[in-house]
Amino acid sequence: MIKQPVQSNLSRAVVVGTLALIALVVGPAQAHKTPVTPQQLKAYQDAFMEEVKKGDLLFHGDDDLAKKMGVTLSTTGMACAMCHPMTADTHPQSFPKFQAQMGKFATLRDMINWCIEKPNQGEKIDSDSDAMKALEAYIYWSNTNSILVPGKY
Amino acid sequence: MSELDKARREIATELQQPGLRPDPSVKLTRRTFIHRCCVLGAATVADTFSWWPLINTIDVAHAADAPFKFAWISDTHLYTRSLNTRFVDKTVRAAKEVQAMSPPADFLIFGGDLAQLGKVEELDLGVELLKEIKIRKVYIPGEHDWYLDMGKKWGELFGQPYWSFDHKGVRFIGLDTVSRAPDYWSMKKMSPEERMAHMSVLDGTVAGPWAGVGRDQLDWLQKTLSTWDKAKPVIIFSHNPLYEYYPPWNFWVRDWRDVNEVLKPYTKVTNIHGHVHQVLYNEIGTMRSIGMLATSWPWPYAPEGVPKLTKPMIRVDPGDPFDGVGWGGLAVNAKDTVENEYYMWGRKEVFVQSDEDSSLSQPQVLRPRIADSMWPY
Repeated sequence: MIKQPVQSNLSRAVVVGTLALIALVVGPAQAHKTPVTPQQLKAYQDAFMEEVKKGDLLFHGDDDLAKKMGVTLSTTGMACAMCHPMTADTHPQSFPKFQAQMGKFATLRDMINWCIEKPNQGEKIDSDSDAMKALEAYIYWSNTNSILVPGKY
Repeated sequence: MSELDKARREIATELQQPGLRPDPSVKLTRRTFIHRCCVLGAATVADTFSWWPLINTIDVAHAADAPFKFAWISDTHLYTRSLNTRFVDKTVRAAKEVQAMSPPADFLIFGGDLAQLGKVEELDLGVELLKEIKIRKVYIPGEHDWYLDMGKKWGELFGQPYWSFDHKGVRFIGLDTVSRAPDYWSMKKMSPEERMAHMSVLDGTVAGPWAGVGRDQLDWLQKTLSTWDKAKPVIIFSHNPLYEYYPPWNFWVRDWRDVNEVLKPYTKVTNIHGHVHQVLYNEIGTMRSIGMLATSWPWPYAPEGVPKLTKPMIRVDPGDPFDGVGWGGLAVNAKDTVENEYYMWGRKEVFVQSDEDSSLSQPQVLRPRIADSMWPY
């Protein structure tokens, strides 16, 4: 796959630095105690979009990033996006629900892992791992305007 | 009203003049199982499309001098054998089934995307696997076959990417809808592998509106058709659909209006296309269009733009690599009809029987990806 750096280390450092600074100056205990500033909003949004971009790349089979994050999402050349362009038919808005393929009540993360293991023949990832959070962020972001229908088949 | 809706209304006004349909002698024929479709058909589609049978049958008047069959395989997306054996297995199965057709098909049309990344090994593997089929084979290219070496290997193997021949009263035309992408690679100094990687991602934003027929090929098409009786049947093979379904995934050709202009005088035009990996049906002006299954994997329906005339295929089980995929058998029979049968492996019912069978029953609003966004320049 093409090498596409998620973001330069510099801008990553800026995001992390800004968040650290906010945490230092305001302190977690102060969250929501004062009106939010545009800078804070931007920092929060950047932190989110950083994950979305990572998730986008993982979802589209970026081997370099997968390697860097220590995950094997596929061993067959298949990537998530091959069956789910633009995350179509991932239906994150329908989770949690009884998932017929698994025969159990499942979350989106369960389903992501199922797809990694079955169609992609990859290795299941920790459901709290950075890679999982990034995939989840991308899938939800892509479905931003879909309507929540939890439990829908 | 969304931009897409506006565009579609414009299309409808322009092309679907009152009374303008494909020639009335071209009809969809009911089959025995139609009644079940009628009773159980999805509420959203039943009113208009309950006549749509499991096997869609198209009457083409004055078609055949003699009955015959032909077969369609496309979108095998072969990786090298060492990387992915499932795609190989499915290609082998399709090839065996086509070879076993009885009575045999007169020819096979391979509808493009033989390879996944356009590699020499992938294309050679495809040729090797299709050797199982002993009947005549004709080929059109897919974008996955093309953009590593700009069609060099494909051309060596299969020759001209567009062509025409007459067979038992039908003029068959193969179009190349993939090779005329706007140059997105030179300015960025992409390697052939990078160019291919962008092309090989359906929802990529870099390769842009690559699907098109092109002025030169349109002129050729017009010339080729000029010697053909306007009332006689024409069957056009193309990788991409020859109308606008969903441009972000190149489920179209960008110059489909021009294509329509050329085809307008011909009253019995059937377009059979790949690329969409799904059951699809549409009519534009006097042309009808049938989307075929891939052997590799099924694509979901696009979040918008699915033709109203399409009765959707059933939601597939992602745990079964043989579900939602297959090939197509087409027959031109003694009554001058063309029948298209979807051979979807392991499925008795190809079409949705209830709302819940359809992924379209789960509305979704999707955003284009961003991590590759370099378009527009």
